Amino acid sequence: MSVSRIVIVSVFVVVAVVFAVVGLLSRRENSKIPTLGDLSGFVMQYRVGKFPVGRVAVLGFWWWVGWHFFAR
Amino acid sequence: MEQQPQASAEAVRTWDRPLVMVPLFVLIAAVGGLFQSFTLSANLLVLAVGGTMIWLGLAGRGGHRPSPTRLTRAAAWWLLPVLLLAAVELYAFARHSIEDYPTLSLLADPLLEGYLARAACYFGWLVAFWGLIRR
Repeated sequence: MSVSRIVIVSVFVVVAVVFAVVGLLSRRENSKIPTLGDLSGFVMQYRVGKFPVGRVAVLGFWWWVGWHFFAR
Repeated sequence: MEQQPQASAEAVRTWDRPLVMVPLFVLIAAVGGLFQSFTLSANLLVLAVGGTMIWLGLAGRGGHRPSPTRLTRAAAWWLLPVLLLAAVELYAFARHSIEDYPTLSLLADPLLEGYLARAACYFGWLVAFWGLIRR
């Protein structure tokens, strides 16, 4: 295994840990950090006129994630 | 004379509850786990399930949980893992070296070749999708 591969994998592990830590901090009582669900909900409220841009973007992104990992 | 209970917009639909959705997702994930990547079956299942979820989400067919109308500055903490992930993904993708600079999906491929892991991840994807359309 090359050094660069080890570094890349390590950074992905760090990203996962940071996601988990921020997620845990957001779930503390009276936390000022919104949960990831609340953040997604906030983004999904964004509209341009009557078009739900935020909703289409978030749901479309998640659809793409599933396609990318399970079908592509 | 007895009053009839009024139907409420908040009433939970008969199908919109964990007792119905979890077994359905388990079934879809069990089937999805059987299909390997780059197959027509895998593509059709993801397109059909994802398309249905998006339609439900845009039509407002799922229940709605209240979301904040404003965010505090502390929400910026989420940028830390998101930007870090985006940066390392872009860097690895730009290097064009599968072995030395693998992207997250390349690292996940060997894991997703096993049926149980693939079905479990499929289930997680569906549950998260359901959580999103209820927002």
